[in-house]
Order: sequence, then structure tokens, then C-alpha cells
Amino acid sequence: MHDVSPALHTAEIIHWIALAVMAVVYSLRIRWLLSFNLARDRSVPGNPAQSNAKKGARHSLFNVAMPWSMESTRSRKGFGFYLSFVVFHLGVVAGIALAFVSTIAPDVLRIPAVATTMLALIVGAFLVALYRIARRLLRPLMRLISTPDDYFSLIMLTVWFGLGACTQAHLIGAWGMTSEAILIAYLYLTSFFLLYVPFSKISHYLYYPFTRIYIGRALGHRGSYPVVRGEEA
Amino acid sequence: MSRPAKTHKVKMMEQQLAKKLTRQVVGSLVGCVHCGMCNDACHYVLAFPDDPKMTPSYKADQLRKLFKANFDWTGKAIPWWVGADKAPLTDDDLEVIKDISFGTCTNCRRCTLSCPMGVDTATLNRIMRGLLSHVGVMPEGVRVVSKDQWELGNQMGVLKEDYVDTLEWMSEELEEDLGHGEAAIPVDKAGAKIMYCINPREVKYDPRTIKEAALIFWAAGESWTMPSEGWDNTNFGLFSGDDGLGGVSARREYDKARQLGVEKIVISECGHGFRSTRCEGVNWAGEQQPVPMESAVMTMLRFIKEGRIKVDPTRNPERVTFHDSCNNARSCGFYEEPRELLKLVTMDFQEMYPNRAENYCCTGGGGAMSMSEYTPRRLESAKVKADQIRATGAKVVVTSCHNCVDGLSDLIKHYGLGCEVKQLVNLVANALVLDEVKEPEAVPAPAEIEVAPVAVASPLAGRKILVVDDEDDVRLFLTTVFEDAGAQVLTASDGDTAVAVAREHQPDLISLDLSMPGKDGVETFVELRRTPETEEIPVCVVTGHPEFRQVIYDRPVAPPEGYLGKPVDEDKLVAYAHHIIEHREAKVH
Ligand code: SF4
Ligand code: SF4
Repeated sequence: MHDVSPALHTAEIIHWIALAVMAVVYSLRIRWLLSFNLARDRSVPGNPAQSNAKKGARHSLFNVAMPWSMESTRSRKGFGFYLSFVVFHLGVVAGIALAFVSTIAPDVLRIPAVATTMLALIVGAFLVALYRIARRLLRPLMRLISTPDDYFSLIMLTVWFGLGACTQAHLIGAWGMTSEAILIAYLYLTSFFLLYVPFSKISHYLYYPFTRIYIGRALGHRGSYPVVRGEEA
Repeated sequence: MSRPAKTHKVKMMEQQLAKKLTRQVVGSLVGCVHCGMCNDACHYVLAFPDDPKMTPSYKADQLRKLFKANFDWTGKAIPWWVGADKAPLTDDDLEVIKDISFGTCTNCRRCTLSCPMGVDTATLNRIMRGLLSHVGVMPEGVRVVSKDQWELGNQMGVLKEDYVDTLEWMSEELEEDLGHGEAAIPVDKAGAKIMYCINPREVKYDPRTIKEAALIFWAAGESWTMPSEGWDNTNFGLFSGDDGLGGVSARREYDKARQLGVEKIVISECGHGFRSTRCEGVNWAGEQQPVPMESAVMTMLRFIKEGRIKVDPTRNPERVTFHDSCNNARSCGFYEEPRELLKLVTMDFQEMYPNRAENYCCTGGGGAMSMSEYTPRRLESAKVKADQIRATGAKVVVTSCHNCVDGLSDLIKHYGLGCEVKQLVNLVANALVLDEVKEPEAVPAPAEIEVAPVAVASPLAGRKILVVDDEDDVRLFLTTVFEDAGAQVLTASDGDTAVAVAREHQPDLISLDLSMPGKDGVETFVELRRTPETEEIPVCVVTGHPEFRQVIYDRPVAPPEGYLGKPVDEDKLVAYAHHIIEHREAKVH
């Protein structure tokens, strides 16, 4: 462990405890999901020449990396949204890495290439988060389907990205961020974030592999997935 | 403000929901992040961009709220935080959800393909429909059709004698066409290789497709039969969400196939019939591959590939396009075979975009054709489909689904596209090259069945027909067609006159329009049926409003003897009229 002030040390310990609690709650969440019966399709494979359950599940699982696979990410408007989705989620990964690495090997975050990348990802995610707040607040249909959890999760992440960017700046001595309080606040917010996630929509990434595999397997078994497209006119 | 108490129905729905929660369903319920990416995939959203209630996740949220309030940790602890406080509590809430679930979603599953999380919104909506149906909250059309399927074994309430009679009628027509009786439709032939199951719509509105299929089976030298029971390949359980009905209906077909000892069930061109019988039925019925099953499209394609039938595509020269049924393409992976067959029997095939699993719904899916209260919205939502069809420049839209035939016909009329809808069986039958067929006129008729020329030219000679229609040109057209066929024609332009003329003149048949000012066709029909002097007179509905079809069949009186959609084909009209009158006489005697 590196030398830290007592306040920061406490924040770090709470942060690791939060992580442990999150891991336990996540395990319970998955156990809960698995407690439901897995429905089996008794029909014979629909069209093995076109696809099968395994192929469908595999393709579906990696759908996230194939913007051409869905109409909603293939169109110009959709592709823009896809890019913002990528930036947002890379920012989440960077933010979490920042919290953990800052407690065990902060010097890594001072390596120029790492520092610049982290800052770019987190700032990018912060900007996308602002856009997402506006989209959720301004578009009637987004308002209609949004719950307090949807708003809170997004606002919390936006603040977290903002604080994360400041923390990264603090670690490299940029933007005049000299106070350690920024890092401490960031760790506390991350701790809260980790504890809140299993009870909120943010836990969707936990479900992602399940939902994607299920739909891919179901449609792959029938032969309709991956989607085959006739050539455009 | 305190919230109202939960009603008994809501409690029953919650109990029922617990039974529906598989891992896949729970995944779809918890996986939605409310990102809105599925919006533009839905034809309702495209048609009503300013109505946020059309968004797929809002529709699925109706079930999600119920789930969260009862099964989700956060939803149970802090309902308002995750929207669980808006879960239904009262019977009025259920009525609102009924309109969302049945009236703004055709369960087409298109949005699922655009969801990054893989949320199966259509499945969630079907579950919601099932919960509502479980407590008796459903559109009247759904209730009536479900009841018919439970009680009579088919969703259009076709009586067994009418079904068998239609098969006999088609056999007779084939005999007339071919000059021999070898192509007659076999019924309940034990040990046949194929059991052919159809959509009751074919019996009721389009028996020509049965005749064409029979012609193709005969031409291919196939060993086949139609069952006297378990013949309905459709399954309203798919639309109402009632797995119990789904299982019973599917098992009727499987049991009959086992009883007859056939090798295979062939399913006539029907999207939801194919999905229900071939894909979902085994799950609802809890059976493991009871008997091999395939679509008639695959059967016809195989006949051609094996050289068992010959086809001449030049007989179908007009430009055609193909509409994929959602149930066939998206939910069953069945989209290449119809294209392959289409290219063999037509000259000018133009693909429609998007297509296959990404095709847009005909908007008549999910049982929408039986819910007339939602017709205006359905037709609005069909704009994207109309644009798709228009862009192909095709004169004929081909589809392998009876439901789509109705949905497409309706939207083609609504948007004035000027094309017609056909199925592959129509095109294959038309392209069929029958080497040994003897042209009817070349067949010397045996003396005892020789028909007087006047009778051939005037199949309705000596008949009295009452034509009821408020539009002068339609009345004139129908009058001319019937008179040319030898009938004496009486006319009426409104319901009251129609009932009066019918009482006084006792026609052999009434041709009745449904949409008329004042007393409309439905009221007129009911009055005719309730008036002792007219109750026995057969009625053939001739209407340009297919959505009224269900309305008239829902009346608490005997259904009409025939039903034709406008524009009417002259030959079909005369054939129908002839058949209805003959059939009625045979019954009376
Ligand atoms: S169903 Fe899928 S695409 Fe639609 S809002 Fe939910 S997560 Fe997003
Ligand atoms: S299933 Fe079809 S009709 Fe229903 S919400 Fe999805 S896209 Fe719209």
C-alpha cells in the first residue's frame, strides 16, 4: 500500500468493503435469476441450414461489438447513438479502474499515456452523460418510460464522471486540482455507486450475457438469427 | 392520497404471473434500461411519432410494473423508485392496459431485433394479454374467437358439416375443371402420407386455396388427406396469450395425425398457423415432435425440385413482391423457401426492403383483424408497410399467410395502392402444367350428366336474388353480374327496404352490404335473422370493410352463409351465390 492520509485511508477501506458487499449482492442477484426455470424449446430446429441455437447465442452475445447487426445501430442516427454508447461505457470502465488503481498503484495513473487516455475517456463519458440527461428530460417518450431510478442513476453517473475527471486531474496535478478531498469524495461516491448498482437499472450489465444468450439461442434455434438481409435495392 | 385497494382480478393476475416467470422472461423484465433504441423499429411509433405511448418499452412496462411490484427487491421495498407504484390496482386500470396490450402492439417482435439488451417485448406483451384473458379482460373479438376455438375446434366457428361440405364443393369444382374425379379431396384417409391442415378463413372466405392445394397434391401424385377434425392449423392462444388454449388446439392436430397414422402434417400458408403448429404448439402441448411438420410452401417447392410437378412461370408474368409474415420469418426462420418458390413460378420478382426477419408487420398480426375497435389505428400504423409495397412497383403482393392477406388487402385499399394480394398456392396452381389434363370442352360428357347449355351459361337461372347496397354503381354491378348469370334481381338501397322486400318476395339469396347509412348492414342482417319470414333466407355479405367481418359473426344469430370482400370477382360471386343456394336447398330437402 502507498502512503496516504488517515481520511483517504478510511475512504479506501470503505471503498473495498463496498466492493465486497457488491460482489455478494451480485451473487445473490444471479442466484435469484437462476432460481427461475429455464424454459426449453421443444420444437425441432427451425432451419439448421441457416442457423442454430449455438450460433445464435454466440452472435447475440457479441452483438454489442457489431453495430451493423441491428437496425437501431446501423442507421446514421443509430450509429451516432452507438458511438455515444461506446464512449459512455468505456468511461464507466475507466472510472472504476481509476477508483481501484488510485488506491493500490496511483503512479500508474500518472504515466502520461495512461493519464491522457483516462482523462479523455472520463471527460467523453461525462459529455455523453450530459447529452443523455437532456435526451431523457426533453424527449416526451423518454420521459414517459423513465423512472426515478433512471434519472437518479444517470445523474449520479454524470456527477461521478465529473468527479472522476477532477480526480484524474488531481493525480497528475492538472486543472489546479490540488486538494486530496477530491479523491476522497470520488472514492466515497464510487462506494455508494457500488452499493447502489445491484438495486438499480445499472445492474443491467450483469444481466446482459443472460438476456443476449437467451434471445440469440431462441431465435437461432428457429433459424432467424443472426439476421439475414436481402441486398439493398 | 391513498391508493385504491387491489381488486380480485389484479390479485389473480399476480398469481398467474408467478407461473409465467421463466428465466428468459425475468431476463427480459429486468434487462430493459429504458434507452429507447427499439422505438423506430415499431410501425406504431413510425405512424404516431408524437404519441410516446407507442414506444415498445412503454408497452412492456405494463407487465414490468406488475412484476416489479411483486417480485423485484427494489420494487417491493421502494415501489415508486422503479415505477412499481404505477402497477395496476383496479379493474379500470386493467381496461387501460387492455387497450395498450391488444390495441397498440401486434406482437410482431420486430423491436426485439433492435434492442441492445435482447429484450423480447412481444413475449412480454403476450404474457400481459394472457394475464388479462385469464381474468376475462379482452376485446370482444378475442373473446368470441377464443370461445369458438375452445368449443368448436376452430377459430371461426365453422361447423363440421360446413367444413366437409366445402371440401365436397371444391372436389366437385375440381371434377368440373379436370373432367374426372381423381383429384377429389380425401377426408380422414388412414395411412396417407400427408395430413393437410388449413386456416378456417379458407373455408369461410377463400375455398379456392383448398381447391388449388388439392390440384397440386393430385398433380404431384401425393398420398394425402384432410382431417375431419383437428384441421385448423391456426391457434388463437398465440394471440390471446392463453397457453392452455394453445396446447389444446395444437394437440387436436397432433392427435388426429397420430390417429390417421400420417407421416407428416403439412400446414397451409398461414404464418401464425405455422408458428403455432410447428414451433410453439409443442411447447404449449408439452409434446416432443409429435409428427414431422412443414409448411405447404416447402412441400410445393419439393414437388417442383423432385420433378413431380411442372410449372410454367410465364403464366405469372406480372411483377410480384413478397411480404414476409412476422411469425414465419422472425419467429420461425422461414423466409428463403418462399423466395425460391416464387422465383420458379413467376417472371418478375421484386424484393421488398427491409425484408426477411427485419420485415415490417402487415399490421394485421397478433389477432388485430378480430379487434375492429382498433381498426383506424391499425390502418394508420400500416403506412410504413404501404410505403414498402409502393416502392416495389409490384402489382401483386405475395405472402404466405392468410392473416397477412387480410391485413395487406385492407391497407392496399386504404392507401389506394392498386395491387392485389396472392399466396404462393395461387401462383403455383396457376403455373401448373398439367400434361394430361383434358380441357373441359374436349371431354364428351356422358348423356346422363349432360348439362343443358342454358344452365351452363346461366347457373343462377330461375333464382331470385336481392341486392342490398347503398352505392348505385355497386348495386348496378352486382345486378348485372347476377342477371348475366340468369337470376331475377331485386334491389334495395337501405336496410328497411331490404327487410320489406325480403319479406314480400322471399328471394333465394340476399347479397348484403354492411356499411350503409341509417340502418347499417349489421343491424339489417340481425333483423333479417330475427324476422320469421326471412330468417331462413341465405345471406351473402359483400363488403369493402373486412374489419366488420368479426362484428357480424359476433351477433347472437346464425352467421351469414357467405362472405365476400370488395372488389368482387364476378366468377367468384356467381360461384358463391350458386353454391350457397344449392347448399341451402340440399339442407332443406
Ligand atoms: S426494450 Fe431494449 S431497446 Fe427498448 S428501451 Fe428497453 S433496453 Fe432499450
Ligand atoms: S412487437 Fe411489434 S408492434 Fe409490438 S411493440 Fe414491438 S415492434 Fe411494436
